[in-house]
Amino acid sequence: MSEHHITPLRTYLIIAGALFFLSGVTVWVSYFDFGPFNIVIAMGVASLKATLVALFFMHLLWDDKKNLTMFVMSLMFLAIFIIVTLLDTNFRGGVNSETEYPINKRAAFYDSLPLTDTHGHPVDEHGSDHHEGDEDHH
Amino acid sequence: MSHDSSSPDFLQHHFHDVDQQYETAKLGMWAFILTEVLTFGGLFVAYTIYRSWYPEMFVGANLLLDVNKGLLNTVVLITSSLTMALAIWAIQKKNQKLSLLMLIATFVFAFMFLGIKYLEYSHKFEVGQLPGEYYSYMGPEIAHINNPHIFFSIYFIMTGLHGLHVAIGMGLIAWLIYSTAKGNLHSEYYTPMEMIGIFWHLVDLIWIYLFPLFYLI
Repeated sequence: MSEHHITPLRTYLIIAGALFFLSGVTVWVSYFDFGPFNIVIAMGVASLKATLVALFFMHLLWDDKKNLTMFVMSLMFLAIFIIVTLLDTNFRGGVNSETEYPINKRAAFYDSLPLTDTHGHPVDEHGSDHHEGDEDHH
Repeated sequence: MSHDSSSPDFLQHHFHDVDQQYETAKLGMWAFILTEVLTFGGLFVAYTIYRSWYPEMFVGANLLLDVNKGLLNTVVLITSSLTMALAIWAIQKKNQKLSLLMLIATFVFAFMFLGIKYLEYSHKFEVGQLPGEYYSYMGPEIAHINNPHIFFSIYFIMTGLHGLHVAIGMGLIAWLIYSTAKGNLHSEYYTPMEMIGIFWHLVDLIWIYLFPLFYLI
C-alpha cells in the first residue's frame, strides 16, 4: 500500500480556503440582480466548488482514471436525464393544444386566497371546479 | 503490520494482493456514488422542470428561507469535509491519534449540520411552510407568490434526502471512530475510511448545489 498518493496538508487547506471563499462569493453575488445570469453564475460557482471537492477531497486527481470516468459518466447521464425530460415538459402543447390549470388546489391557503394563475391573474374558480383532484398539471 | 508482507490479515483470500483489494473496493464505491448521483438526479430533474414552468414561484419562495442558516450549514459541511480528508491524511501519515481527533470533529460538525437543519425545519413546521396540501403559511411575503407549497414539496424532499444521508454518514463515521480507536485501521489498511470519506464528500458536494438552488436564486 506504499504507493498510495498522500496529498500534502497544504493542498487540503488551500482547497478548503478556496471553498469557503467561493461560498462567500456566491452569497455576495446573489444580492445583485443579473437577470437570467443569476442562475448561471450560481451554478458556475457551485460547479467550480464541486470540481475542487471531487478532484482533491475525493482524490480523483491522483486516482486511477477509471474512477473519474465513472463519476463523469454519472453526470453525463444526469445531463441526458434533464435535457430529454425538458424536451418533453417545455414543449407540451406544441403538437396537441393544451390548457393550463392551477396546480393542486387542495392546499389550505387556497381556501382563503383567490385562485390565480402563474402570472397572478385571477382564475375563474367555478369554471375549473370539475378539475378538482386532477393530477395533470398541464 | 508484523505479519508477512505477502499476506497481511486484512487481505481477503479472493484478492490477488492488497493493491488489487484496495482498487476493487474503490471501484465499487464509485459505482455506488454513480447510483447516488442518479438518485438525487431524479430530484434535480423535478426541480429543473418546476423551475422552468414556474420561475417566479422559485424566485419568490426562496425569500422564505434563511440565507444565514444556509450559509452557516455550508461552512459547517465544508469544514467537516476538510476534517474527514485530514483524518485520512493523518492515518496515512501513521498518526492514529490525530486521525481519531479529526473523525470526532467530522462527527461533531455533522451533528451541528443536522442541528441547524432541525432549527430550520421546526420553524417551518411552526409557521406552516409545509409541502403540498399541508401548506398553510399566509404571511405577507407570499402575496405575490403562487404555489409556494410546490416549492416546499421540492425543498423538503431534497433537503430531507440529503439530511438522511448526513445521518447515515454520522453512523458510518461513528463506526470509523470505533475502528480507529480499537486500532483496526492503520496506515497499511484504511480502506473503510477512504470509502466513507468519498461518501461524505459526496454529501458535501450535493449540498454545494442545494444551497444556491434553494437559498440564493
